[in-house]
Amino acid sequence: MSREVTYRVGLIGPEDLVARHPALRREITVQVHDLDADPWPVDAALRWVGREVPRVDGEAKVTGAARYTYDVHPHGLAFAGVLGSPHAHARVVAVDDAAARAVPGVLAVRTFAGRRVTYAGQIVAAVCAENPRALDDALAALRVEFEPLPAAVTTEDALAPDAPRVEPGRTEGNLHAPPEPGNRAAVDEAFAAAPVRVAAEYRTSVQTHSCLEPHGCVAQVHPDGTATVWASTQATSFFARGRFSRELGVPEARVRTLTEHMGGGFGSKFGALEWDVIAAGFARETGRPVQLMLPRRLEHLLGGNRPDSIQRLELAGTADGVFLGLKGETFGTAGNGPGGAGAANHSVYRIPALWMRQSEVATFTARGAAFRAPRHPQGFFALESLIDLYAARLGADPLEVRRRNDPHPVRQAQWELGAERFGWAAARARRDAGPLRRGAGCAAARWLNAGRPPWQVDLTVRADAGVLVANAAQDIGTGMKTVLAAVVAEELGIEPGRVQVRLGDTRDPAGPGSGGSTTTASLAPAAREAALRAREALAARLAEHWGVPAAEVRSPAGGFEGPEGRRASFAEACRLIGDEEVRVQGTRRPNWAGPFGETAGCQFAEVEVDTETGVVRVLRVVAVHDAGRVLNPLTARSQVNGGVLQGISYALYEEKRLDRALGDMVNPTLDTYRILGLADCPRVEVLLTSLEAGFNNCGAMGLGEPATVPTAAAVANAVFHALGVQVRELPMTPARVLAALEEAPR
Amino acid sequence: MKAFRFLRPRTLAEASEALRREPGAVPKAGGVDLLDRWKERVEEPEVVVGLCDVTDGAALRLEEDGALVLGALATLADLAGSDLVRRFLPALARAADQAASPQIRHRATLGGNLAQATRCGYWRLRSFPCLLRGASRCPVREPGGVQETAGIFANDPCASAHPSSVAPVLGALGAEILVGGGPEGGRGLAFEALWRAPEPGRSDVLALEPGELIRAVRIPPSAHPVRVGHAEVRQRAAFDWPLVTAAVGLTLDADRIREARVWLGSVAPTPHRARAAEAALTGRRLAEVRATFDGRAAAEGATPLPGTAYKAGLVAVAARRALADALERS
Repeated sequence: MSREVTYRVGLIGPEDLVARHPALRREITVQVHDLDADPWPVDAALRWVGREVPRVDGEAKVTGAARYTYDVHPHGLAFAGVLGSPHAHARVVAVDDAAARAVPGVLAVRTFAGRRVTYAGQIVAAVCAENPRALDDALAALRVEFEPLPAAVTTEDALAPDAPRVEPGRTEGNLHAPPEPGNRAAVDEAFAAAPVRVAAEYRTSVQTHSCLEPHGCVAQVHPDGTATVWASTQATSFFARGRFSRELGVPEARVRTLTEHMGGGFGSKFGALEWDVIAAGFARETGRPVQLMLPRRLEHLLGGNRPDSIQRLELAGTADGVFLGLKGETFGTAGNGPGGAGAANHSVYRIPALWMRQSEVATFTARGAAFRAPRHPQGFFALESLIDLYAARLGADPLEVRRRNDPHPVRQAQWELGAERFGWAAARARRDAGPLRRGAGCAAARWLNAGRPPWQVDLTVRADAGVLVANAAQDIGTGMKTVLAAVVAEELGIEPGRVQVRLGDTRDPAGPGSGGSTTTASLAPAAREAALRAREALAARLAEHWGVPAAEVRSPAGGFEGPEGRRASFAEACRLIGDEEVRVQGTRRPNWAGPFGETAGCQFAEVEVDTETGVVRVLRVVAVHDAGRVLNPLTARSQVNGGVLQGISYALYEEKRLDRALGDMVNPTLDTYRILGLADCPRVEVLLTSLEAGFNNCGAMGLGEPATVPTAAAVANAVFHALGVQVRELPMTPARVLAALEEAPR
Repeated sequence: MKAFRFLRPRTLAEASEALRREPGAVPKAGGVDLLDRWKERVEEPEVVVGLCDVTDGAALRLEEDGALVLGALATLADLAGSDLVRRFLPALARAADQAASPQIRHRATLGGNLAQATRCGYWRLRSFPCLLRGASRCPVREPGGVQETAGIFANDPCASAHPSSVAPVLGALGAEILVGGGPEGGRGLAFEALWRAPEPGRSDVLALEPGELIRAVRIPPSAHPVRVGHAEVRQRAAFDWPLVTAAVGLTLDADRIREARVWLGSVAPTPHRARAAEAALTGRRLAEVRATFDGRAAAEGATPLPGTAYKAGLVAVAARRALADALERS
């Protein structure tokens, strides 16, 4: 069922880097499924893949024509909303909904009396009404009696011995600690023998996803026992599962879910969440299409967050910059249940002796959610900061220390390229005398994802040479539609403009959720295989038409050739389809073992710190990333730009501020929950080290997440360089910068 | 938002009349601040007097005596773009131009900017207790309160901060406020008399009589040269609330400071006059203050909370920079 293919893989560009690193190209042999396309070798001459193809839906987005869930208004639409608890911990004694039900236009009310709420914002009642005004009036008319209970909303408060427990009766309290790794003695020994040891505690704050389009859906049950749901989700194929479809009263198989366009997810929009289930119930109860989108305040409170962290780390090394060991204990708030609050801080460098224990702490706050490279930005901030502390102790160049300990051949080339383009040596040599101090820092990125099976992509060709590619996966904003169009155009030898890509509709084959930076690398190879199937199908029709054996029709790029000089263009071949259509399917095959391992990246940042006000500005960033083969540099650069900007925002501005006594969020608006704005955007130079990675027929890997992994760390290291003192808590607000400066030895 | 009756007068006189006629009516100009408050139901007015159709409230003019009169309905963009303001009050044009975002500057009015409420998250969210909304204590001041952006002057019992970055510049210009009804009525207020200290259970901090509107801001002429400078500390480069704003106005007698006006924003429930800094500057020679003024006098009398200790330092920095701006610019 498979054939052996030997081909050259490795670094595609930039050219001078390829010349300097011949070891980054090599020949590998892989087992290619019989139905799959041959992988493209590193030096394949490709017409569309790897070229800057503009977004196919760019015009719709900038003109406002693109339809988001918010914009879906089926005839008879009703509006639903929820009321959140103002208390972090309370029992809902009673909900008086008489006044709410009396508001003209109210269709249905649900209340959750008796519920024990364990975070502010937790839903205690919901309303469905004819129009937004009636909804707003009814929500305001609900009277909820709470019995407030003691709460602990910060990680530290929840760890206190007498802290109220999120899970009553749990003997370990709020601490969820994994078993202690067994190698403590060996690691302690390595530390005792190490010539240099540095230790520090680093902290990060809770960051909310702040999707511009909040969470929510529009649900409609049809009289024929089917249902349609428009959802702002990053997992269209699985949205209607379980509770959602049960509440809707329609089996999942009869629910059509649509995500035409998405206004941001970042990991927070997998599957139907509690308010979606409430919307489904209202849709069944009222027989009306129902829209429920969270308002901004609840989006901040309930829409997910990146857990905070307290990370106590100690690094041991030689006097000349070789890491010997890392010990660490971390704590992160997991909200009202454990999950996802660790910190990835040991996964890049060669560290022989490693002891790490990561605990989660239940707090009376809403649960965290996957957030663009879960665990990574916080973990990398701490470890990469500690590395700079170690380098400073040695009086060594922190970049050189990294390179000494970095086993990844691709990242080694990236460090070199980035340092050159950034002007690392000059930036590090700079010393400012006035209150404005500049500094330069760097940090590493990693990710491991080359997509995965088992997805199918449908492809339809019609007589007019129109091509439709379809899968139910959503384009979360990465530009996957554009990439799939280019891959199919490449295989068929036509213009990408001829390829229409339909995503986000569950009438098409199921697709992956947008998580782990996997969607493009999961679907592009399947789309390519589908295009190959289409080429074969057209060749077969031509063979019949020409009256020659099918094996004698070849299909070089852009057309077909038969014996005795017979030729047909793609369009000419398509005319043979007549009134029918050619429908084929491509399958995502299992990955091969790419020889270069995980995705590599590194970033360099230059900052300017006002030492009198504590205000930090990032002046420029150089970001070097591979993503396997870069299928579209334009959309790839967009991903890196976005990752860098989100990382700066995390480093300097974003923080969910809770009143420690009252437990509610004080800054649940977009003017007080600070996110980096246009004027705060530095010059970002993106250098893509495209790499035929040898995992699949497109050579593709993921990029969305690694792009934001090192940014906060690089910015923090630049601040350290500027000030000579570390700011060990994110975000680096003026108050924290000034406090760090005050404690600095003069 | 609770439904309200919306009146649309055509003149300031009609607007004043409507406000007098309808007890509890609220005037609305750009609505930049008010709409958020109404949507959150922090305030639920029954009657709103919209000033959108008022045609006689936005003029910016130079009077015969040399005073500049700025209509309260002029937008921040009007101020920033006006040749008159840029020529005679450049510090004001700059402050207006740096506030908020372009969209907001085209809606937000001068009067609304002065009358705006605190950004205190506790006051702005109905789910929090707030002294101004009837609670017995200010939660910002309690252990566990989020304090970083709170006031550091006059912050007991309410630790709110007035966020206007235009107000300190007007204070430094020695502005007066013209309030009142139509052409027949109205009165002039000293700048600081526009506000009063916060009172428990009462949301706004304006010292207006029922039915009174802010009609205009008047910058009186000066027989002596005046220099005004402005400095703002904020975290984001644009579209952010200031952490501290300072403005310094100097009336000069040759190279000696005859009178100094030092005003601070975002540090107290109302725009705050830093009298100790004024005293430290008044009567001194420019060269001397240039060399020695460290701004610390501007922070005199501050009673920061644990979370706002850093703001006292920012006040000194901002005051020093505002002075440098004043000395450098004009």
